[in-house]
Amino acid sequence: MWARLREIWRYRELIRNLVVSELKTRYKNSVFGFFWSLLNPLGMMLVFTFVFGFLTPNVQIERYPLFLLTGLLPWNYFSASVQGGLHSVVANSNLVKKVYFPRGVLPIATVLSQLINFLLAFIVLFGALLIFQRQFSPWLWTLPFVILIQTVFTIGVALTLSTLNVFYRDTAMIMDVVMLGWFFLTPVFYSAGILPNSVTIAGITFDPQRLLYIVNPMASLINIYRDLLYWGYRTDIDFFVRTAITALLVFGFGFWFFVRYSERFGEEL
Amino acid sequence: MPAFRSEHVIPGQPLVEMHHVARRFIKRRDRHRSFQDRFIRLLSRRNVEHEEFWPLRDVSLVLRPGESLGVVGPNGAGKSTLLKLVTGILPPTSGDLVVNGRVCSLLELGAGFQPDLTGRENIYLNGSIYGLTRAEMNARVDRIVDFAELGDFIDTPVKHYSSGMYVRLGFAVAINTDPDLLLVDEVLAVGDASFQHKCLAAIQDYRAAGGTLLLVSHDLNAIQSTCTHAVWLEHGLLQAEGAPIDVVMAYLAEMARKEDVARSEREGAGGVAEPVMPGRWGNGAIRITRRVMG
Repeated sequence: MWARLREIWRYRELIRNLVVSELKTRYKNSVFGFFWSLLNPLGMMLVFTFVFGFLTPNVQIERYPLFLLTGLLPWNYFSASVQGGLHSVVANSNLVKKVYFPRGVLPIATVLSQLINFLLAFIVLFGALLIFQRQFSPWLWTLPFVILIQTVFTIGVALTLSTLNVFYRDTAMIMDVVMLGWFFLTPVFYSAGILPNSVTIAGITFDPQRLLYIVNPMASLINIYRDLLYWGYRTDIDFFVRTAITALLVFGFGFWFFVRYSERFGEEL
Repeated sequence: MPAFRSEHVIPGQPLVEMHHVARRFIKRRDRHRSFQDRFIRLLSRRNVEHEEFWPLRDVSLVLRPGESLGVVGPNGAGKSTLLKLVTGILPPTSGDLVVNGRVCSLLELGAGFQPDLTGRENIYLNGSIYGLTRAEMNARVDRIVDFAELGDFIDTPVKHYSSGMYVRLGFAVAINTDPDLLLVDEVLAVGDASFQHKCLAAIQDYRAAGGTLLLVSHDLNAIQSTCTHAVWLEHGLLQAEGAPIDVVMAYLAEMARKEDVARSEREGAGGVAEPVMPGRWGNGAIRITRRVMG
């Protein structure tokens, strides 16, 4: 495992080049170019604010555009990385079948190119912060660590799914639906507070609010982003640590899984 | 662990070591990859047939630094599989494989080029695929640009390149990465005659500088002129190994014998037996009367 991680580190130049070429080709032949990284979240913010701010006025959340952005941007980063990372190995089958390099660089590069996008979108978020925010959290400096934790988690998911997609192309189809469900089960455009405290399905009673944070690392991550950026205070340290550990476990599994099966990519593709 | 690779050459150690390496493929149609397939199989209660074939059955060979190994054999003999094992694209099914040093293959020139990036950008991208750092590429980029002879096209997106320009750039990058081991499959049909000549000269220079070469070719002259030793691979086994001249002669003799068998079968059981001249190779159908050294 360590040797494999070191090998990927040795190929960091390849990761860098793949990220750059992915960014370059993403916005080629578009008038606004990389400004789309800013325009896209801005447009989505307008849509969501219109739907949930005006069309459904019974669930009002104050400073809704800021509330939304603090959830939507991390979610978009995750979602785009998973969708892109999923296809990263299959889309580069030409390369995988012909040249040797540690295959892990493919999903990692996809996630990192989305990370750049996410960081650019922070310009929009900080604009919204200046307009809507009353107090800035003294814990704002922990933001890079939160982003790092999310990146580690996302790479773990991308590694797992890109491997599965090599052997079963159904993965991509299934994930279309899963990501939609995941989006609604993550408090992106609503607050987890609106969920009931106890629900009984088929005789089993559970607490959706607690469950959300236990089984859905994205819910925990967005909660931390909101604590820092929207509420303007710090998040509980044990909550933070638990999320970090979950992210590391997901990454560990994803990397092990990827390494175990990547040897067979050459014949499967 | 069936395969061990390291990026660095270990002094005194061979670059490639194969011990009883075998490689199996399972034919694709027998793989039930989708649920639909599985479901149909479940209903039809058919047993899973494992139709497998072994491009490599039992191959042992050693390639030391500075050597140049030629591989001959008919189509489907397992030559490409052998190269894929050495590059690391496929793992061996059984046996031990050790590869030390950076391997660069001229199998697929320009694999990994991004059509929308310029030639120069692709040089850096391709170099990093071979595992070189930016600093190492900076030191080589001028050499590569000179070698590829693309002129102003070097700063044009490669999607506008002709296929010849494409491979020329691919070759220029590959040969200039200074690999420890260079894999060459087939005669290089790269660009026009003068560029082909340049490619062969570059490979000779690489050899002269102490580079190690693994050459797969049907061009038996190239095998004899470039290689220090050769192997004849067929049916997944090494049929012969040794000096290129001996291996090539043995291979040719076998080819001729097969041809004779095929011909006498065509001509029926009562076919005329060809006179075999003692001390000579072949059946006398063609005779070399004169040779000119160029």
